[in-house]
Amino acid sequence: PLPIKSEPTRPAPRSRFRNAAIGLPARLPSPTKETAPNPPTPTTCSPICCLAAAAPHPPVPPPAPPPLPPASAYVHLPFCRKRCHYCDFPIVALGSSSPRGEDPRITDYVRLLLREVAATRPVSDDGGAPLETVFFGGGTPSLVPPRLVAAVLDALRARLRELVGAGVNRVSLGVQAFQEDLLRACGRAHGLEEVHEAVGIVTACEGLQNWSMDLISSLPNQTEEMWEESLRCTVDARPTHVSVYDLQIEQGTKFGQLYTPGVHPLPSDTESANFYKIASKRLSEAGYHHYEISSYCKPGYECKHNVTYWQNRSFYAFGLGSASYINGVRFSRPRRMKEYAEWVQNLEDGTWSHESGNSDTKEMAMDVVMLSLRTAWGLDLRSFSKSFGKSLSLSLCNTFKPFVESGLVVAMDVQQQALSPSDFELDLQSEFDFGSRAAFIRLSDPDGFLLSNELISLAFGIISP
Amino acid sequence: MATATATTSRLAVLAPRPGPGRRRPAPSPSSSPLRARGVSAACSRGRVLCLAAPAPAPASSTDAGQDRLQKVPISNIRNFSIIAHIDHGKSTLADKLLELTGTVQKREMKEQFLDNMDLERERGITIKLQAARMRYVKDNEPYCLNLIDTPGHVDFSYEVSRSLAACEGALLVVDASQGVEAQTLANVYLALENDLEIIPVLNKIDLPGAEPDRVAKEIEEIIGLDCSDAIRCSAKEGIGITEILDAIVTKVPPPKDTAKDPLRALIFDSYYDPYRGVIVYFRVVDGTIKKGDKIRFMASEKEYVADEIGVLSPTQMQVNELYAGEVGYLSASIRSVADARVGDTITHFSKRADCPLPGYSEATPMVFCGLFPIDADQFEELREALEKLQLNDAALKFEPESSSAMGFGFRCGFLGLLHMEIVQERLEREYSLSLIITAPSVVYHVNCANGETVECSNPSLLPEPGVRKSIEEPYVKIEMLTPKDYIGPIMELGQDRRGDFKEMNFITENRAKIVYELPLAEMVGDFFDQLKSRSKGYASMEYKLVGYRESPLVKLDIQINGDAVEALSTIVHRDRAYSVGRALTKKLKELIPRQMFKVPIQACIGTKVIASEALSAIRKDVLSKCYGGDITRKKKLLKKQAEGKKRMKAIGRVDVPQEAFMAVLKLEKEVL
Repeated sequence: PLPIKSEPTRPAPRSRFRNAAIGLPARLPSPTKETAPNPPTPTTCSPICCLAAAAPHPPVPPPAPPPLPPASAYVHLPFCRKRCHYCDFPIVALGSSSPRGEDPRITDYVRLLLREVAATRPVSDDGGAPLETVFFGGGTPSLVPPRLVAAVLDALRARLRELVGAGVNRVSLGVQAFQEDLLRACGRAHGLEEVHEAVGIVTACEGLQNWSMDLISSLPNQTEEMWEESLRCTVDARPTHVSVYDLQIEQGTKFGQLYTPGVHPLPSDTESANFYKIASKRLSEAGYHHYEISSYCKPGYECKHNVTYWQNRSFYAFGLGSASYINGVRFSRPRRMKEYAEWVQNLEDGTWSHESGNSDTKEMAMDVVMLSLRTAWGLDLRSFSKSFGKSLSLSLCNTFKPFVESGLVVAMDVQQQALSPSDFELDLQSEFDFGSRAAFIRLSDPDGFLLSNELISLAFGIISP
Repeated sequence: MATATATTSRLAVLAPRPGPGRRRPAPSPSSSPLRARGVSAACSRGRVLCLAAPAPAPASSTDAGQDRLQKVPISNIRNFSIIAHIDHGKSTLADKLLELTGTVQKREMKEQFLDNMDLERERGITIKLQAARMRYVKDNEPYCLNLIDTPGHVDFSYEVSRSLAACEGALLVVDASQGVEAQTLANVYLALENDLEIIPVLNKIDLPGAEPDRVAKEIEEIIGLDCSDAIRCSAKEGIGITEILDAIVTKVPPPKDTAKDPLRALIFDSYYDPYRGVIVYFRVVDGTIKKGDKIRFMASEKEYVADEIGVLSPTQMQVNELYAGEVGYLSASIRSVADARVGDTITHFSKRADCPLPGYSEATPMVFCGLFPIDADQFEELREALEKLQLNDAALKFEPESSSAMGFGFRCGFLGLLHMEIVQERLEREYSLSLIITAPSVVYHVNCANGETVECSNPSLLPEPGVRKSIEEPYVKIEMLTPKDYIGPIMELGQDRRGDFKEMNFITENRAKIVYELPLAEMVGDFFDQLKSRSKGYASMEYKLVGYRESPLVKLDIQINGDAVEALSTIVHRDRAYSVGRALTKKLKELIPRQMFKVPIQACIGTKVIASEALSAIRKDVLSKCYGGDITRKKKLLKKQAEGKKRMKAIGRVDVPQEAFMAVLKLEKEVL
């Protein structure tokens, strides 16, 4: 029972979307109104994420310092029709009137992106692993004309080695809600009709059985009934993957000005926790596996690309504001276009280069903990002990012991079967016994997941006292 | 002048010190020398050297002040102090006296208001001056006048009484537009007890609101002092200064001529100088002291060689000997002021006096509190800082204390609230320590069932209810002077604080004196602030200890998730326990962040819960999205959250932020 399965087999790319970037807001805020990829369809709410790639990757995690060369790349396509009211991502709002032909803002940006790709030195010349996943995030990636997306994929292939069967084989639709009022209140560029159209297009798309739907809970004035309705509609649309995000109010957004978390019309913490629990319950009933704090999938349809993040593997990133993790170093590109362009120039001139990784062990341990505890397979204690020492592992487990008793944390054996709190306690009696039964610890679904910040920050306090 | 302690308060602000705690530049040595002892002491040595050996000179001289080191017959010595309420003009008057006698040149004088210490001002304490030796020629006869100042706050009434004991007379300075205030009154009574000749002075007669006749009448009525020849002056304008000097000469009696007796000198102040050790200020009562004498402190039983003796004029100037009636300083490589306490008697090692001068007493701390560093790493620094302060403050007591909530710290004893504030403030300002200060507590006498009586100043150490029979607490008699408009609010305050009303009388048509007896514990909180706010700042007060009385007191414990938090335990009157318990639990509920489980917060007397709140569990704390693999922002948030937890103290399984303790302690100060 490996927690993660590889993506369904390849030959994904024979779709209408092939070589197209489908604008897909990978993050919460993603807007999406789009002209349908190919032909005549009018606007679709185009959802968004596209994963062009292939090659199954190994199922279970082991997080691995020192990092392997990246096998994934994130590409940021920052264009949206307009900015949603909760969004604080680095995006460029194009406005609703599209110019004839290609928008120069898009072509200029893609040019810049291609320069960045070309100026990026592959981590290993000897050809480490080829790219296994490419993820276009936004913005609304589907706003970028397919020709340009194809150009980016070509550039990646040329620079970073063979990319098996390049093409778009996964899409996510940033639906967010199934209530017209809520969509309007969020400042989304689409309505309910476009949602249905987009779902129609995606499901009709031959060869694109792997698609995801994004929802947001805890929207202003959202009721429990509305949330149940959204979940029902989602299940009815039968995506292979569902992302459920809890609305975060960010400073500097319209919502940030209008609302205070926990205060009407936003739901209280209790209501909002309830939304989370309802999602977990309804989606599980419908056969989805809650494999990460905000991700659900049908068996075998985990988002391969995101899984690389949670396994703390390296990845490339390209484009405005994007964050890469190469040689143990995390780097975020400038979030403003002008500064990003200057940075690309410096990269080309050789006046900027990635530091070589030399990162602090504690930081690495924190990364592993915070990322793996987001997932259902949890923290692999043996691998963690191997990398960071048995005593740190033991301290973490001791810290979590009361929460294993209260049910927020679950200890699991090597088969990923839950251990009773008393068995877990036996394991903690001595460093010698430690690990004889417990092989993983994870946060429980939904209660532990709901308190993940508290629990993870407790672990941080142990790692870096 | 002085009490070691009050002196320290002045040094706190004036002494130059490195570091960010410094508030204002130290005055230059020449500015207002009277008020900058720390500075003048450090800076005056150069001058001392050239002035050390005064040449005999004829008595008559136009710049009489400049031969002030000359000896005069004992019958021409006058030792006096100035008693005044804050802002009634003591400092200005002292400056004028120095100027007129030529002790300080006019060009050296600076406007005096510039260096009043903030803390003293806020707290209504009169500014303390330097002792100063002046030469004044009247009718061709040279006189030596020694001004010895007193601190004006009740916390230091012992020091005040020793300063007054070193004088034969006092100027009672009263603002002609304000009238007599409570603290002035207390000091006048002390002066009368010491048989001082009191010269009433009505100051600020130049002000439009001055009513010297009314105020003179007030003094007569309240103090019973004949004001028919009260001097009317304006220190600011220089009106009446000569009259004051003349009155000192004619009215204040000279010291007794006992220069032949064995040496007895009264210490009225001492302070610690990092370079020279303790500097002792004294008045020679009997006998003669010479440079190089081997001396003995009769109370501390320590012996030293007087390496340096001198006079204060107002900077330190060395001389070779001082005789009965004279005032001066000495330094003898003394390591701590505790070895040369105010009130101690200096005698000769070889020719000892039979008995010390009367009036010496050990410092008895009246108010206690716990001081804990916010950052546990500062514990050693706190210890060092307290030790340094103690060098200069014999009344400060401390001993280590530990508490599960606060970690390691010290239980400290103080003469009173002002003393406590001064010490806390110095620790924070001068030593850059961040402290948690527990609610002040008084010393209870616990009568135990077995007949023993135990002193207890720390609520968490109160003997168990089964062991104790009764608890006695210290009571004070408090006198408040107020304009009649505020009598109502002030009496309410007295009643609120478990006060026994004693008497009220009108001292003039518009002003009343109200007397209460109430528990000291009721005064250690915000009583003074309340008095000021209820009287719009017009009322003044004075208190003195009147002994211990039995009270129905209980120990109130706070429990968080079933674990007692000792640092928050308090001793309260039975009738107040419920409301205090409610206020504390409510406050804690507001301040303790919610935990991953439900947390009961209770106030208990013994095992009985009298107030209870519950902190509900956190519902959710989750960041749902890790976008585009950018985990840095999220990690930063989580790290911050982890840091936040580190700053908290664990009470059982509950993380309680330091601020919660501080806020509750503050609340305790208010509600207790």
